[in-house]
Amino acid sequence: MSNDIGAYKDALERLHHYLSRFVPLSRQEFGQLLPYIEIREFDKRVRVIDAGSVERYLNVIATGLVRKYLPVRSKEITVQLASEGHLVHSELSFHYRIPSSAVIETIEPTVFFSISYDSLQQLYDQYPKAEHLGRLLISDLFVKKDNHYYHQLIKNTRERFLDYVRTHPQMLQRVPQKYIASYLNIKPETFSRLKHLVRPGKK
Amino acid sequence: MLDLLRQFVSGYVVLTPEDFSLLAEKITVRSFDKRELLLRPGEVEQYMNFIVKGLARMYFYKGRSEVILNLAKEKELISSSSSFLSGAPSNYYIETLEPTTLLSITRDDLDRVYKQNSRIERLGREMTTYFVLEKEEWEHACMRLDTRERFLQFVERNPELVQRVPQKYLASYLNMKPETFSRLKHLLKKRPVAVGNR
Repeated sequence: MSNDIGAYKDALERLHHYLSRFVPLSRQEFGQLLPYIEIREFDKRVRVIDAGSVERYLNVIATGLVRKYLPVRSKEITVQLASEGHLVHSELSFHYRIPSSAVIETIEPTVFFSISYDSLQQLYDQYPKAEHLGRLLISDLFVKKDNHYYHQLIKNTRERFLDYVRTHPQMLQRVPQKYIASYLNIKPETFSRLKHLVRPGKK
Repeated sequence: MLDLLRQFVSGYVVLTPEDFSLLAEKITVRSFDKRELLLRPGEVEQYMNFIVKGLARMYFYKGRSEVILNLAKEKELISSSSSFLSGAPSNYYIETLEPTTLLSITRDDLDRVYKQNSRIERLGREMTTYFVLEKEEWEHACMRLDTRERFLQFVERNPELVQRVPQKYLASYLNMKPETFSRLKHLLKKRPVAVGNR
């Protein structure tokens, strides 16, 4: 590891806390994971993974904000907006070792805790507890994905908008509007119109 | 029947005969007629099911129309996986379309086996990963392919389902109007060369 992991004490604390929600990990057990983790720092508006290259890493965001999108014809469809503590990677590329069709780009300067594909396999082979943790993490990812997909289908535009801003109030400040609109599959004009619903002082 | 399952899991991980028997001990055979509901929204999915024979679909209602999320046949899994994994109530129905025989394991039993054997837990991780990737692939296809391309890709990959599944369900699964589906099917008959041309 080239970077000084100590510089990210608070973020590591949060990572430990996050993982312990799935499987309680002692300080020592958490420490055993650290040699497998790389710290990667990026400026804002940098492509962490580009379409066509193979995703080497599974990332948890220590600090910062990224979006994942699919370039489709001349458009970019945002499929994920991820901030501190969120898991982000180009799944299909990472697991099948094929070129990515998605792009992951930073919106703010961002630090990742990353584990490479090879390190992850080593970790699974070495520690049965990692196997357990990995299964629970991936299950959680599936459940979230399924929920998001279902709600995208079942809810109307207004409900999608209100639910998102209620559950992610800080994102409205941090993320350019057009990306949130794309993520929620709402036209930018409609999104602007809906924003008056959440102005301070209005209900 | 168990041989089919053994074959299926060996696509994910290598299990010793002892590992596999841990799993096999917990498996029950369940048989259903066609058009039986296995699960309703609001119920927690208790089973992960492997289809030995038959055909089933998973769906929900958007307003008054059905949206089909999954069509599964022999040697495939069917379960409201999100409910199975989280213990939260299912959003979906599961219904058989043909007389169906399942090999099923309950959530509690599977959790017990995971605790006993880390290779089986790995199988669980690999399969769940596959669920995620399948979903991701589907979403990408919906965003990147137009109606015609989605139709052709589906027909190419699932020639059998085109024969077995009522057309209106296939249309719902592919998120297109039944009329559109008929029109595309017509096109296929005229120009069979177009299939596989992707």
